[in-house]
Amino acid sequence: MKKTTVCNLVLIFLLIPGTLYLGSRMTGRWYYATSTLMIMETMLPFFLAFETRKPQARELVTLAVMCALAVASRVVVMIPGFKPITGIIMITGIAFGPEAGFMAGAISVFASNFFFSQGPWTPWQMMAYGFGGFAAGLVFHRRKHQNPIVLAVFGFLTILLAVGPLLDTCTVFTTGSKITRKFVLAVYAAGFPYNLNHAIACALTMLLFGKPLLSKLDRLKTKYGMMDVREENP
Amino acid sequence: MRSDAFSKCHPLTNFLFFLGAIGFSAVIRHPLYLLVGFLGAAGYYLLLSGKKGWKLILGLIPVFLLVAGVNPLFNTYGQTVLFTVFGKPYSLEALCYGMVIGGMLVVMMLWFGCYSIVLTSDKFVCLFGSLIPALSMLLVMVLRLIPSLMKKARQISDARKTIGKGAGAQSSNGEKLRDGIHILSALTDWSLEGSIVTADSMRARGYGAAKRSSFQIYRMTLRDGILIGLMAVLAACVLLIGGTQAEYTPSLSIASPTLALAAYAAFLMIPPVLSAKEAIAWHISISGI
Repeated sequence: MKKTTVCNLVLIFLLIPGTLYLGSRMTGRWYYATSTLMIMETMLPFFLAFETRKPQARELVTLAVMCALAVASRVVVMIPGFKPITGIIMITGIAFGPEAGFMAGAISVFASNFFFSQGPWTPWQMMAYGFGGFAAGLVFHRRKHQNPIVLAVFGFLTILLAVGPLLDTCTVFTTGSKITRKFVLAVYAAGFPYNLNHAIACALTMLLFGKPLLSKLDRLKTKYGMMDVREENP
Repeated sequence: MRSDAFSKCHPLTNFLFFLGAIGFSAVIRHPLYLLVGFLGAAGYYLLLSGKKGWKLILGLIPVFLLVAGVNPLFNTYGQTVLFTVFGKPYSLEALCYGMVIGGMLVVMMLWFGCYSIVLTSDKFVCLFGSLIPALSMLLVMVLRLIPSLMKKARQISDARKTIGKGAGAQSSNGEKLRDGIHILSALTDWSLEGSIVTADSMRARGYGAAKRSSFQIYRMTLRDGILIGLMAVLAACVLLIGGTQAEYTPSLSIASPTLALAAYAAFLMIPPVLSAKEAIAWHISISGI
């Protein structure tokens, strides 16, 4: 735990400003390269923490199932363009904590991109979806009872205000010649309908599936004595 | 999907090549480098995916046009004004810059297309398996579970159809959603119960007891060593010789091409040249029979 904390501090206080400084000093067009490196450096502490605490088999497999479920959910609901993936990622975060939520988000889009295509957007997607799971875990993990309507509203707003705009920021850096405020606003405006669609899908998933899935996960914990998953690896 | 000579190299060789190719294409905005990058990326993509490759290349044309056309609306610093849009100057320089940005995006997408074909998930895990064992284990399990869950989902859906439940193509969106949630619910129960069995079996067989070894099918050969060395030298040439600068707004100033351009082209030609070499060797060997 100590080791990762030190790593995190080094990353945040040295690597990220260092990247920003170097990126601004280079000749050429470094917007995309610099910003993507910074996104990767922000994700690194999460991955390091996961790696150093050596997750147990049960935790690992359960997390893997949740990730795969999030990816496979796309084909289960037969409405075109309806993506329940973020809803399931957020529920994972609520059930297993913010760190697990982040891992679920980051790993499920990364895995999903092996079936579609990796692209310039991959690190950004990992960060954005990971953030969704992380935020949901941070807000709801400690609470005993969840209200599906609150969950749905939370999911809707998080997608619309954080996850979606983060994905659009990648578009800003890959397509903008001069990054002006108007250009950024135009990209966010163009992304809005898509993000709205995504947010509605997430909210519906949370509303209809949040409670059942959470109780399934709770049942799993009691049935197989997984209540101590968290205490086992603080 | 065909596998070419370069795909058979060690994953590290593949990874470093794409790191260089994608990195350079994301950073250098010199038009000649862009052209070389496009020829390299499109050529290699076509080599890898055959006639199907044209689909992506043609699909990227609208992306290019959109980025090229929209950029001058927001970048109003060019000197040669072509016309005005909403009272804003639409300049030739900004249009050139927009075209370069669009081109850079296209080249990057093409390289990523090649990356996806060459650096498959097993190669990724082979590369990072010992560095991040828990994460690659997680990734491998997810990659294996996705098709298995999709299969289970189809089974559940079929079973529901036999008792007259489930949504068809003409059902309303609400019905489809409710049906999807039911399937998802059954799928969750099924796969989570299975996950406990898997986990217990993993523990019984000693998962986490010692350092994990990983399945290595790829071996570093002399050829990989030579290729990595060659790539390092060529990349260093591009970085150190320079001549990659280009400014577009307010006025065009593009550095004249240097030897670095040749080094860049040579770097990108590595995969096709390997394929060509292999094809020639093949023809010579069968002509001797």
